[in-house]
Amino acid sequence: MNKHFSTKMSITIFVTPALLIFTIFCVYPLLPQLWMSLHNHNGFQNLGFVGLDNYLSVIKTSSFWTAHKNTYLILAMSVLIGLPISMCFALFIDIQTTKLRRFFKTAAMFPAILSVVVISQIWVAFYEPNWGLFNSILRSIGLDSLTRSWLTDEKTVMMSIGLTFLWQYIGLNAILLYTGIKTIPKNYYEAALIDGANFFQISTRITIPLLQEVIKYVLIVSSLGSMAFYAHVRVMTAGGPGDLSRTVIYQMYYTAFDTSQFGKGTAIAVIFILQCLIISFLIQRFVAREKLEF
Amino acid sequence: MNKKSRFQIATLLLSVMLVATACSSNNSSSTTTEPKSTNSSTANQTEDKKGSDEKVKLRIMTITTDENRNNIMEQFIKPNLAKEFPNLEVEFEPGGGGEDLANKIKTYNASGDMPDVFWSDAGFFTALNQAGNIMDLTDSITESGFINKFKVPEALKHIDGKIYSLNSGADTYFTPVIFYHKDIFEEAGVTVPQTFDEFLNVSKTLKGKGIVPVATPGKDGWGPQLYMLQQMIQIGDPQAMIDLVNNNIDFEHPSVVAGVERIEQMAKEGVFADGIANLDYGPAVEMFTSKKSAMLMMFTWELPNLAKIDTVDFFPFPSASEQYDSNKVVQFWGSPLNGYAVSSKTEHPEEALKLVEFLAMQDALYFESIGSAISLETGNAPGELEPLMKKYLTWYNGAEVMIPSLALNSVDSRTSAEIATYGARILTGEYPAADFIKQINQVWKENTWFEN
Repeated sequence: MNKHFSTKMSITIFVTPALLIFTIFCVYPLLPQLWMSLHNHNGFQNLGFVGLDNYLSVIKTSSFWTAHKNTYLILAMSVLIGLPISMCFALFIDIQTTKLRRFFKTAAMFPAILSVVVISQIWVAFYEPNWGLFNSILRSIGLDSLTRSWLTDEKTVMMSIGLTFLWQYIGLNAILLYTGIKTIPKNYYEAALIDGANFFQISTRITIPLLQEVIKYVLIVSSLGSMAFYAHVRVMTAGGPGDLSRTVIYQMYYTAFDTSQFGKGTAIAVIFILQCLIISFLIQRFVAREKLEF
Repeated sequence: MNKKSRFQIATLLLSVMLVATACSSNNSSSTTTEPKSTNSSTANQTEDKKGSDEKVKLRIMTITTDENRNNIMEQFIKPNLAKEFPNLEVEFEPGGGGEDLANKIKTYNASGDMPDVFWSDAGFFTALNQAGNIMDLTDSITESGFINKFKVPEALKHIDGKIYSLNSGADTYFTPVIFYHKDIFEEAGVTVPQTFDEFLNVSKTLKGKGIVPVATPGKDGWGPQLYMLQQMIQIGDPQAMIDLVNNNIDFEHPSVVAGVERIEQMAKEGVFADGIANLDYGPAVEMFTSKKSAMLMMFTWELPNLAKIDTVDFFPFPSASEQYDSNKVVQFWGSPLNGYAVSSKTEHPEEALKLVEFLAMQDALYFESIGSAISLETGNAPGELEPLMKKYLTWYNGAEVMIPSLALNSVDSRTSAEIATYGARILTGEYPAADFIKQINQVWKENTWFEN
């Protein structure tokens, strides 16, 4: 039986439907984009072939690099701050009593199931400079000098939006990691406890190493989610003030739709896709390389 | 070639054919709209009767930017449409406004699925016209006599002499002014400023008393893009503004530079509410109506709503030089390209053309009902105007120099978007006017508006 299923023909038969679906829905839509990125297109009509001019033009704009700086800032916040906090939260949930665990799991999921628009509007209200929560707290404790217009200040706007993003998804990632923790056999922990290991040692020597497949998954989802960061920016600042909080996706949208330069917009899209492929490849290549079985 | 290889090649070819088939376009199926019979269940109908009961299906994308637009839809268009056009089945789609509307139209255009009737906008008209997707209404409204209902039919014509869209003409009467609360001014001991310097001093006094001087929408560069840049230039040099609108000068002209510097100055001196660059339209108006701010820089389309508040009055933008007399120079909002238009690809042109006339008339009836001035005559006897509207019309009609809006009559979508982008940055007070000029002047040189 196994011999039959491992022939080239059977592999081809089984792979073909999935390959077809992937080609139709994922690969094919990219081809017109690639074609458009080589043309001067205003959204209504093609104004001619321009070769690589669109690519050269977009990389010369300062907004393109501002957008990249912002996107990678969000990616860094998500991976370097968000993921460790999610991991800590997952470990924290794991050691709670059943009742508290249920509460924390619900609380952690809550922001993730809310609409991005709702979340963003709530945080816009928090950041409001005249009567918003943050400035009100600062004023009430005598720290008036620290109050600011969080979403229009060049120094704080991106961090403020990033914080909203982190807040929304830290809980969801924690739940994913917690689910992974529950798959680790209990006897590993029992053995460690008999040997006198403390919580920190158990977490770093058993839990985290055995979670690498889940961590890899969360890392890929978080990274690509951060790269595609758009909705929060759209609602909270519309990319502003000016272009200061635009991300790559926002810059692509702005270029294509707001300025009617679809050729340049799709050139940004193609550059963006390449970056996402590279990031996915790097994670696949360097994270969780050895398959663990337990 | 062995059997396995042949099978693999055959599978690959089949895959390619399937992909090609699945993704090929089918124009006939995507654009055909089947007429829908409403009485198909009535058994005793004759064939002729069935034919006459068939409804024509039309899609409309309307502008839904503010309360006025929602009221027009809910109180006028929807209730009157069924009475006026029993043979039509109309599907409405809210289009938003500004860039949102433009983007939806672009998307539909790209997918070959344009609505039969839509709200056209100067911002995307050129590209739409070049693609041959907007219908010339001139012959139709001349034959129907609808053109004679406009006080100034010439105002409907684009520079090529054709008429592409219809509206109530209320736009022509919209201009930016500064609304203010008389009681707040009195309590603060300030009077209506006559000059720009006085305006800055009034703002300083109000701010010193803990009152936000001015609210205006700044998010996405709304204010700078649509009125502020133009006002700040023309209060110093109206002729320079006329020249800019007509592309006779660029952004490096000293009067234009001075105008941009006035915006920077207002932002730096705390004239605006904190966080103005991220203040949306609704919250800005609400900030004024709830008296959290003493003034509101806004177009007069909000006048009928604001006139309901006893303490509200308005004054024109104060002068920044002797060249500008606030009683003689106004910026007007209208564009012949903004209004209800018909897609040239519609399968029901006759019905669509009647529908745009109806929609323009509903707009007129609404604006008439709230006391706004309109140029499309409804046939109703003119009602008594609110005192504030009377004051406004007296001032507006007395103007000798009417400057068209830069935002609607001189910029392509890229230039418009870039003015909005960098205009919002100036409002932060951290972006120098010189940088704005440098950035926008480059875009202005590449502005395609005047190429057509």
